[in-house]
Amino acid sequence: METAVKIQEYDDPSYDPFSADDVNFGDTLDPYPEIAKWRAQAPVLEGDYRPRMGLQSAMYPDRKMFTVVGSDEILTALTDTDRFSNHGYKFNIGETFGQGSISVMDNPEHGRWRKIFQKIFLPQYVKTWGDTIVDPVVHDLMDRFVSTGRADLIEQFTLLYPFEVIYRQLQLPEADVGTFQRLAIGQTDYMHADKAQEASRKLGAYFTALVEERRRNPGADLVSLLANTEVDGDYLPELVLISFLRQLMNAAGDTTYRGTSILLTALLENPDQFDAIRADRKLIPVAIEEALRWDGPVAVQLRMAKEDVVLGGVEIPAGSLLDVVAGAANRDPAIFPDPDRFDIFRERKAHFSFSRGPHICVGQHLARVEMTRALHAVMDNLPNLRFDPDKPRPEIRGSMMRVPRHLYVRFGD
Amino acid sequence: MPNVIVTTRDGAERTLAADPGLSLMEAIRDAGLDELLALCGGCCSCATCHVKIDPAFIGLLPPISEDENDLLDSSEHRDETSRLSCQISMAAELDGLRVAIAPED
Repeated sequence: METAVKIQEYDDPSYDPFSADDVNFGDTLDPYPEIAKWRAQAPVLEGDYRPRMGLQSAMYPDRKMFTVVGSDEILTALTDTDRFSNHGYKFNIGETFGQGSISVMDNPEHGRWRKIFQKIFLPQYVKTWGDTIVDPVVHDLMDRFVSTGRADLIEQFTLLYPFEVIYRQLQLPEADVGTFQRLAIGQTDYMHADKAQEASRKLGAYFTALVEERRRNPGADLVSLLANTEVDGDYLPELVLISFLRQLMNAAGDTTYRGTSILLTALLENPDQFDAIRADRKLIPVAIEEALRWDGPVAVQLRMAKEDVVLGGVEIPAGSLLDVVAGAANRDPAIFPDPDRFDIFRERKAHFSFSRGPHICVGQHLARVEMTRALHAVMDNLPNLRFDPDKPRPEIRGSMMRVPRHLYVRFGD
Repeated sequence: MPNVIVTTRDGAERTLAADPGLSLMEAIRDAGLDELLALCGGCCSCATCHVKIDPAFIGLLPPISEDENDLLDSSEHRDETSRLSCQISMAAELDGLRVAIAPED
């Protein structure tokens, strides 16, 4: 499909948005012992999360910051919308994805637009994409290395497939995909704010042209669907629509890449559990939920105090920002006994990895479909899958967002 | 306060008093029945507070909105008695309401 405006590269084409991951999201090997120490001290601590993990503080306006690690307090901050707002995201997500992102909004404004996106991503709709989009993408990628007997399942598979799913959903022109991914990833390079802004601007221009094109020539793709969706007789506001499209790569691509990578790593590290799933694939859903609990891709959410509040016995002035460490609740021994152990057979309780409250992940059902199809394909096509003995073992790293960089495997004979 | 009789997934019955003005979801959750997950907190954004209503009471409930209908369609356990409990406001005329927590999806 031709677009009126071509996609624009960064002014400095040598900029590498992928290399900025460590400074933005951390490279801590295991943040959980540290988080457990904080939890033992207090459920709410003064100061932000990033410097505690050796990262540069985020560039927010001058105000007090707190880190929330107690499970009750985490749940309160995420669900008590009378006292806690999502407006803190205006300082980062809003600046790049756009202030029309539903992540920066509170109800009722948030709910008004969310329900439109939510409907598209309900289980009854996304499960049909498993056959039409996800399986073809997964099998195309796997066909490229299935005969070689060895692979890096991150570089050759998990880092690619959720993004390919999005390109197919959006029906992006093949020639635009490389630059598109560079811009999309660069949007969250908050430590190089000029690049994040440039990416946002160029992606915004691209999507604006794409929306116009798909209004003239609608197809069966997600851009056409959203571009032609009407609310009260009018199109979705431009700001809301473009912000959503900008956010999609991060929300649906980056997170699923991380979640699938962690799932496969955990199963290879626990071969008895992997064997149990091979013997009974009905265990796939609990394995996915356990991987999301054990090491969810997104460890921290941001909230802002709407008024002076007391949380966990700590006085928090209005306007303060709270780093809500959902990953801490996932490893709370009071909820999940022996929480550091990956155990697909543990008593099933709801985890916090899709967050809680009105902003609970819109794409969670698609993420589950994608991870399910990916795991089926791994088991179908890569028999006798094991770590490559000649290569380093995977290391899940990061303190804001978690992922192993490589997962070297052998398979077949 | 109106009483609600809740049947949990293991078949046990529990009677609880619901503050009028609370949602049915809040009344069940506040009684400590944590198998009703209600992950979104009660704003019709997930389908994890799904309950089955005793047919004798269905006529007393507010109609199902389009959003609630779409979310209920996402459950494999939906039937004609299904509702999202966050969308039902407790009131005196619902005294004696019988509901069962729907199976987990």
